Formats: sequence, structure tokens, C-alpha cells
Amino acid sequence: MTTTLLLLVLLAPALGAAVLLLGGRRTNAWGPLAAIGVMGAATAGALALFGAMLTRPAAERPVGVLLYEWLAVGDLRVPFGLYLDQLSMSFVLLITIVGTLIHVYSLGYMAHDPDRRLFFGYLNLFVAAMLLLVLADNYLLLYVGWEGVGLASYLLIGFYRRRASAATAAKKAFLINRVGDFGLSVAIMVMFTMIGAVTFSAVDAGIVAMPGWVPLVLGLLLLLAAAGKSAQFPLQAWLFDAMEGPTPVSALIHAATMVTAGVYLIVRSAAIYDLSETARTAVIVVGGISILFGAIVGSARDDIKKALAGSTMSQIGYMVLAAGLGPIGYVFAIFHLLTHGFFKANLFLGAGSVMHGMNDEVNMRRYGGLAWVMRLTFITFLIGYLAIIGVPPFAGFYSKDSIIEAALAHSWTAGIVAWLGAGLTAMYMTRMVMMTFLTKRRWQPDAHPHESPPVMIIPMALLALGSAVLGYLLVMNDAFEHWLEPVTGFVHEDPPLAMPIVYGITFGVVGLGVLIGVLANLHPAAEAPTRVNPLVRAARADLYGDAINEGLFMRPGQVLTAATVITDRRIVDGAVMAVADLSTGAGDQLRRVENGFVRSYSLALVAGAVIVLAALLLLRIA
Amino acid sequence: MSPDAYLSLASILFAIGAAGVLLRRNAIIAFMSIELMLNAANLAFVTAARAWGNLDGQVVAFFVMVVAAAEVVVGLAIIMTIFRSRQSTSVDETSLLRW
Amino acid sequence: MTPISVVDIDYVALAPVIIVLVAAVIGVLLEAFLPEAARRSGQLLLTGSAVALAFLTVLIVAASRPFGPIAGGSLMLDGPGLFLQGLILLTSGTAILIMADRRVDPGGDAFAGRVSTLPGGEEEREVSRRGLMQTEVWPLMLFCIGGLLLFVTSNDLLTLFIALEILSLPLYLLVGMARRRRLLSQEAALKYFLMGALASAILLFGSALAYAYAGTIEFAGIAERISERTTANTLVIAAVALILVGLLFKIGAVPFGQWVPDVYQGAPTPVTGFMAAAVKVAAVGALLRVLYVPFGGMRWEWEPVLWIVASLTMLIGSLVALAQSDIKRMLAYSSIANAGFILIGVAAADQVGLSSVLFYLLAYSVATLAAFGIVTMVRVPTGEATSLEQWAGIGRRSPLLATAFSLILLSFAGIPLTAGFIAKFGVFTAAITAGALPLVIVGIVASAIAAALYVRIIVRMYFTDPVSASAGVASPSPLTVAGVGLGVALTVILGVFPQPVLNLVEQTSIFVR
Repeated sequence: MTTTLLLLVLLAPALGAAVLLLGGRRTNAWGPLAAIGVMGAATAGALALFGAMLTRPAAERPVGVLLYEWLAVGDLRVPFGLYLDQLSMSFVLLITIVGTLIHVYSLGYMAHDPDRRLFFGYLNLFVAAMLLLVLADNYLLLYVGWEGVGLASYLLIGFYRRRASAATAAKKAFLINRVGDFGLSVAIMVMFTMIGAVTFSAVDAGIVAMPGWVPLVLGLLLLLAAAGKSAQFPLQAWLFDAMEGPTPVSALIHAATMVTAGVYLIVRSAAIYDLSETARTAVIVVGGISILFGAIVGSARDDIKKALAGSTMSQIGYMVLAAGLGPIGYVFAIFHLLTHGFFKANLFLGAGSVMHGMNDEVNMRRYGGLAWVMRLTFITFLIGYLAIIGVPPFAGFYSKDSIIEAALAHSWTAGIVAWLGAGLTAMYMTRMVMMTFLTKRRWQPDAHPHESPPVMIIPMALLALGSAVLGYLLVMNDAFEHWLEPVTGFVHEDPPLAMPIVYGITFGVVGLGVLIGVLANLHPAAEAPTRVNPLVRAARADLYGDAINEGLFMRPGQVLTAATVITDRRIVDGAVMAVADLSTGAGDQLRRVENGFVRSYSLALVAGAVIVLAALLLLRIA
Repeated sequence: MSPDAYLSLASILFAIGAAGVLLRRNAIIAFMSIELMLNAANLAFVTAARAWGNLDGQVVAFFVMVVAAAEVVVGLAIIMTIFRSRQSTSVDETSLLRW
Repeated sequence: MTPISVVDIDYVALAPVIIVLVAAVIGVLLEAFLPEAARRSGQLLLTGSAVALAFLTVLIVAASRPFGPIAGGSLMLDGPGLFLQGLILLTSGTAILIMADRRVDPGGDAFAGRVSTLPGGEEEREVSRRGLMQTEVWPLMLFCIGGLLLFVTSNDLLTLFIALEILSLPLYLLVGMARRRRLLSQEAALKYFLMGALASAILLFGSALAYAYAGTIEFAGIAERISERTTANTLVIAAVALILVGLLFKIGAVPFGQWVPDVYQGAPTPVTGFMAAAVKVAAVGALLRVLYVPFGGMRWEWEPVLWIVASLTMLIGSLVALAQSDIKRMLAYSSIANAGFILIGVAAADQVGLSSVLFYLLAYSVATLAAFGIVTMVRVPTGEATSLEQWAGIGRRSPLLATAFSLILLSFAGIPLTAGFIAKFGVFTAAITAGALPLVIVGIVASAIAAALYVRIIVRMYFTDPVSASAGVASPSPLTVAGVGLGVALTVILGVFPQPVLNLVEQTSIFVR
């Protein structure tokens, strides 16, 4: 029964993708509906599995299904096996439920796109690959899903083929992700060499007996992989460009699911990280930097989707940080991952709804006053907003607060970074709400904003419902801790401060963030402020709001933004592009050797022979 | 007498042949240089056959001669077609394919 | 008179080679005696059935004959030899399907109607007006296939050399016979011929030195002599170096493979596919046997050479491929890079390495053939659209073709669930077990570079708008569809269910000495 259901969950989207991508134009009429149908089937299967799992006692919940032996090279046996435990179950539910809602939303969002059949085909492909990623019972099969979601992601980022920037963005995402994939493939090779197996259970069992450098190296390699996929520092640059893709894609892939695969990888490899303090510290550092980096970029971008992308990076930073804390954090990493999946998808769909009504305008400086025109969008967005900044009883409060407590229990630095991140989150999210929905209208002359159709509003409403109640549901009776503990282990440690003080400080920084966000964005300008002498600007009283903006946030923000942009463009982007350019350049130089003259080829052949000969003879003498 | 001298001579002939391929532009002469290299190998084969006192090397030498003849047939045919379409047998002029 | 001893020949074990070569001779006779109208179909029937029959015979031999030397010790019947013979016949058969297609090109098949005519001359126009088609290519193909079959089973230096010549000579001619862009084709033939002759001379001289060292041309005898030695002898070292270079030339390894891009670009595309697949398979097979059997005892000498050559081949192949704008040339460099990956497995120098190479060859050769088959279908009025720019937007107009090509490119890139992934994983694992981790790291870097290259083409097909000079897709005959379809299907099947084939290569991967 379990096998059938698992196969249903996995194969339904795969079948949908196959039909839509190979079926050609014939499927234009009913294709999108079929895509939603298979998602519905997968969701039903996932819920049935969940129900069955709940009826079993905790120790018997994980199930493994060996489909067949996939490949055997030498002594290495790799099964094509699925493994469903509480961790993968959580992911399966997130992927199928949020995935289905976003499929439905896309029906409205992509209604006028002539290629929407392809779009739905790619989306189904993505879901199938993502499910494979979280259901695999070994690293190699996980890698299959890992590459699969990457592929679907590139296809969807480049979906708007009319835009040259979309193709560039897809290529960049691909290149940067190769760096991460390199980490994962080398890690798998190291596992094979040292442990002789790649299944999770065998690696977990075998890693204990390894010399100390093995968990360290594996931990760092897996972190590299996670950073690439989850857009963590220093491999984040592609995520911002990925916003070139259609907004439902940004919601599903670049917010709720795919980008969290890195967190899944780290938590899944808990046994490895448990053995290496250094690797865990590296994870915490990467997570911490990403929290701040993403938040700063999020506060400085006027493009609503890129601001949200910054926020995604920052929120995943929380998860990575929590995962790096070890057994005190794994559970909260996944907890935050789930709530984030809901509220961030909700926010992205809200942004998409706004764009849908505003002729695809993404610049928040051209919005304003939309709360009265797009009332339902505003309400759902507001719920997502309250969830992300951590206002009780919305979902983000529980998950983020747990991470802050765990971080404090680990070290002051981690705790302060987490607090700082919370404040910044409140600030940029407030800015986003102010600039988009409140404040005065700064629309372009041809903009006629209107509310989106119900097919878009209903998924948003359901996600908003999730953003509102999911946190409380999961935290009730410590339900989630008990649920996940058998897989990841859980240790509770009290923070060094009394709980009321922790709450107090958290609410304090969040409140301060909201306050700054409101004050600084009372009168946003329709054009981005150019850099003028701040004294002159301060003297102009009518620009009071922008002056605060400028003085309190924009100025230091600009410096930080400039710094991040420099890191982003020059260093990271630069490095990636330099490698790309270097490769092409090297190729270009090397091809000159191929000069077309047969005598020069003969020279290479003869000289090569002489060198081989001389080398062998020298070797012999030596 | 030591066979080394013969093997050395064969090596020298082989090197001369290789140099001919590298230095001469005319396809036919380059090709003749390759034939010289084959014959250098033949010399080495028969020398070794004599030194070891078996016939393997001599048999090989006969086969190589036949192969060389076959190679001439194919080679000259190719060089002829090139000459007919370009009025030249220079190997340096046939360099449309590059990079 | 005293009775003479006759070499006992197992004709059944030899049957695949005999069938192909006899068919080739019959083909020559058909050229002379069959009326012109019936020649093409007659030759096709003969060639196709000979290859199919030979393939069946290989299966029968594999099932029924004991392994060991055959034909008086000139050839060796063993697992790798039979596997490679089967693979050569499989890929040759596929190549023949693509070669036989005369629907994609309105002028006929891929070969010049009459090779002796001047390119662009009056006579050529006359030939093409009358729709004459050349049929000599088919006996040439058969001779070449016969040579390939001998090459992978040869058990002494003489047979190795003769087999090399039997396969090379027809190939030089086939390269020069393209219907379109004939000047380039002729130039490719000349280059291939001169370089090939030079390389075989080098191989032959190496063989002479090996014989001078060992006193025998048989592989087993040479191995024995090497195992007896106390110190390495200059003669045998020189012999190894020269034979290695001669074989690496055929594989197209850097720096010995500079001919590859030029020849692959100039040759008629189906022939290019045949060379990149079947000929490369045979060359790697011969290299494996020569390195493992006679010179297995000198592993410590040749292994470092292979490490360096493999690294150079992978890196340079991938890098230069990035800079190409011609699809055939790009695929040529990609085949060079793949040769590098194959050499990783060869350098592992054990049974796991051998079986990984055999699997890689299968995965690589079927994909390569399909790729070149697809290239023949993408056309502009003057011939094939080889410029990458002309491939823009193919994905829109011909989704099926673009999907097939993307699958093949993903396999080349080593993306999971394709045969290429399993193949790369196999050679990397083998090399790691053999302690060649640095080589594997270079390999992973090179495959990352190569992946960027393949994705660039996929992006070009799907995400770029067609330009005015964009290519169209010719509707192919069922022959090409079958050939390409087989390649694509195997690429996917071997990626998802590789185990049966992995078992097969594991069982077959022992050389009989």
C-alpha cells in the first residue's frame, strides 16, 4: 500500500510532465488542467501517506521501499530506493500542497501566455524532481533529484524567451549551481571512497568510525552544495536574477521548495555534522552572513520581487543557521522551513497579483495606494507580512522565535545576528507594504490596477490561512518537536536569558523595525533618490520622509548595499563570470593551435611521441 | 655483429622520414617520407628476425610492403582529387578547416 | 613427403569477421555486375544483412565458444573482444541506417554522386541532375567494419597493424566523399590520410622495437618476456611509447588528436558519426588490450603518461569546445573530451576500470551517433545547418527533435538518469578505487566546463528567437528515425535501468592472456 502511494505521489507529476512536454500542441486545451489534476492526485497520495504514518507509533513511522537495484559498480551498490520518514513526509506535504495551490494560481496568472502548456509541463517536472530529491534513500538518487530541480529551474527562469535577460539569468543560475553541484558530487565520491556506500543509513552508520577529517570535509562539501542550491553566501547571486522567471515559479521554486533543498541536505546529513564542530560552525557562519546579507539587499531593492528574493535568502539563512546549531536546531530549521514555505509563497503570489494588475510593473516606486484597489490581495499579503515579521499568533512568530532562542543558547553572536535579522526583516517588509499598498499613488499613466480573478485569489487565501495558523498548530503540545525528534534528534537548551526578556527584546527590535519602516517610507519618491548632499536634502523639509529614509536607513543601507552589490556583482558574479570568461577565453586561445596546417599537426604528433619517449626514459633513469 | 647498429640505422631512417613529413610541403613527398618510415620499421623487423633466429619479423616485413602498396593506391587517389580541384599538391594550401 | 601441420581454425568463432569481409568482396563484385538501377538497393540489402548476421553470430559465438586464442593465435576470443565486436556491429548498423537515408537531402544521400568530378564543375551538375548515387561507399564500409572487428580481437602486433590498415584505408576514402562542401571534405580526407599514415608508421616502428626486444610478435609472449625482466630496457620503453602514441592518435587524445576537429567537420556527417562511435570504440578496445595484455607488466611506466594525456584531453577538449560556433566541430571537441573521460577508466588498469570503460563506450557511442544523425536533419537550402547560430529556436519548430538532442546533450553533460551519468560515475569510481583521485577531480572540473557548453546549446534551441537564416528540419526517412531513436532510447534506458548492462560488462571484462 505504502509503495503504491509513494509511486503515485512520485509518478503522477512525472507523468503529467511527460504528457505535456511530449504531447505537443494537442494538449494545449486541457494540458494545464491535467497538470493540476496530477498535482491533486499527488497531494491526495501524500495526505493518505501522512494519515497512515500518524497511526503508527513513532518508531515504526519511517518506511523504505526498494524499487530495484539501480547500479552496481565494483563493490558499490546503489539502490533505486525511496525512504519516507517524518522529515521527508514534511517536505512531501509542503511540496504537494503548496505546489498544487501554485499550479491553480498559475492558471489565472499565465492565462494569456501562448506557451502555458510548456510552463505547466516544466512545473510538473519540477515537482517530480523535487519529490525524488526528498524521497531518495541515498545521496546518489538525491543527486538525481538535485540536478532535476536545477534543470526545471533553469527552464523556468528562462521561460520568457523574448527577454534576453531571462536567458542570461538562466545561464547564470546554471553556472553558479555547478559550483554547488561540484561540492555534492565530490562529497559523494568521498563517501564512496571512505565509507564504501552512499545510502543514508549506511553513511550514518559508517561515518562514526571514520577519522576526524572525513566528517569535516564532507560537512564542508555538503555546505558548498547547500549554499549553491539555497542561495546562501557566497553563492547567492543567481537567486536575484532568477526573478526573471514567471512569479508563480519564484513562489514555488525560488521561495517555498527548491531553495530549501540545501537545508534538507544539511539536516539529512545530521550524522555527519554531529561529528564535526568545525563544519557546524561553518554552517552557522554561512547562515548568519546570509541572514544579514539578504536582509540588507532586501531593504535596498525597489524591485518587489528582488526585495522578496533578498528576504528569501535571509530567511533561509535562519534555517541554515538553525541547522548548524546541531540537535538543538534541526527541528526548528525544518519548522521555519515549513512556515516560510507558506508565508513566502503567499507573499510572492501577492506580489504576482499586484504585478498582474499593474501591467507587470515590478518597481515599488510606481505602486502606492493599492490597498484600496486590490483589497483581497492586500489582506492576504498583510497576513503574510505579519507572519514573516513574527507577530504572534502568526506562523513566523513561533518558528523564528524558536530559532532565536536556540541561537542564543548556542552563543551570543548567533543570537544577536538572529535578532538583528528580525529587526531588519520587520523594516524591509514594512517598507514593502508601505510602498505597495499604503502611501499615495505613484502609478504610471497607463496603469489600471484591478483585483485578480478568484482562481488566483483562492490559492492566496489558502496560503494566507496556512501562514496564519500553521505555526500555532505545529507548536501546540510541542507537536512538531515530537514528530521530528526520532529522525533528527532534539535537545532543548534554555537561552542564557529568561524567556520574558528574550520575547521582550524580540518584540522590541521588531517594533523598532516596523517603526523605522513606517516613518522612512511615508512619502516615497516615484524615482529612486539620486545621491545628493545629505545636508541639502535634510534642509528640504518636504522631503522629510525621504530624509529619514536617507539618514537612518538608506545612507548606511546604501553603503552596505553598495558593499553587497560589489560582493554580488564584482566578487561572486565576477568570479563566476570570470571563470566562464576565462574558460571561453582559454578555449578561444587554445583553438588557435588548431591552425589547419597538417604539418603543424604532424609536428604535435611527432613531438608528443618524442616527449612521451623522453619522459619514459627519464623516468627509468630516475 | 651486434644488431644494435642496424637498429640504430633503422631509427635514423625513421627520424629522417619523420623530418621529411614535417618539412616538405608537397603532399607526395610527405607521403614518400612516410613510406621511408615504414621501410625503417621493416629494417628493424628483419634485423630482429635475424637476431632472434625466427621468421616472424620477415613475414611482417612482407605484410608491411603489401600494406604500403595499398596505402599508395588510396593516398595517390586522394592527392589526385585534391590536385584536380585545387591545381596544387601543397599541404599548406589545404587549410580551410581550422579553429 | 613429410606431412605438414595445419593450423586448426575455428571457423564459427571467426564467422563474424568472415561474414563481413566476404560480404565486402561480394559488394565489390556487385558494383561490377549489377545494373546501375539495382545497385543501391542491392548494396544496401547486402550491407545491412551482413552486419545483422554478423551481430547474431557474435551472440552465438559468445554463447557457445570457449574463450581462448583462435586462428592460430592471431586473434583472441574473450569477453571484452566479443563485447566490443557486438558494440561495433551495433553502432555500425545504426550508422548504416543514417547513411542510407536519402530523404533529408533533396539531392540524394550524403555522398557525392561521382567522386571524380570537379567540385562546382559542369560534370558535377550533370551528375546531380541525373540523380546519380554512389554505391561504392557500402563495400568500403564493410571493409572498414571488418577491420574494426579484427582490431579489437587482434592478439599479435602484426594483426594489430593489418587490422588498423584495413579499417583506416576505406575510412580515408569515405571521409572525402561528401556531397556538399566537397572541398572541405577532400581536404579532410588528405589530412586524415597523411596524419593516419604517419601514426601507423609510428605504431609500426614501435611494434618493430617490441619485436626486437621480445623476439615474438604475440602479445602473450611479449607479456612473458616483460615479466622476466629485471631492469627496464630502452627498447621496450621506446616500443611502449611509440605504440601508445599510435593508438592514442586513433582515439583522438590531446596532443595527438589535432586531426579530429578538421576531419569530423569535413567528412560527410553520417561518416563522422560512424568514426566518432564505431572507430573510437575499436581504438579504445585495441588500446585496452595492448596496455593490459602485452604491456600490463609495465603499468608503472605507462600509467603516468595516461594520467597526463587524459587530463589534457578532458580539459582542452571541453575548453575549446566552448569556443566553437560550428556544431560538428563542437561535437568533435566533445568527442575528444569524452576520449579523455574514457582514458580515466583505462588508467585505472584493473577489471573495474575495464568494465567501466566498456559501459562508457556503449553509452557514449550510441549517443554520439544519434547526435550526428540529428545534425543531418537540421538543414538550410545549401546543406546541413552546421553553424550554431542557425540552431536558434529549433525547439519551437521541432520540439521532438530538440527534446531528443537535449537528452543526448544532457547525457554528454553527465546529468543523472541518462546513460552519460552512469558512465561517468563508473569511470570516476573505478579511478578512485585505483587511487587516481586527482584525475577524478580534473574530470569533475572538466565535466562542469563541458556541461556549460551543452546547456548553451539547449538554451540556444529553446530560449533564443530564430534568426532569419535559421535552419529548418528536414523530414527524415524511417531509417534515420530508427537510428536516432535507438540512440536516444538507449541513452534513457541505460540511465534508468543500467543494471543488466552493468552486469554484462562486469562479467565480460576479463582479458584472456
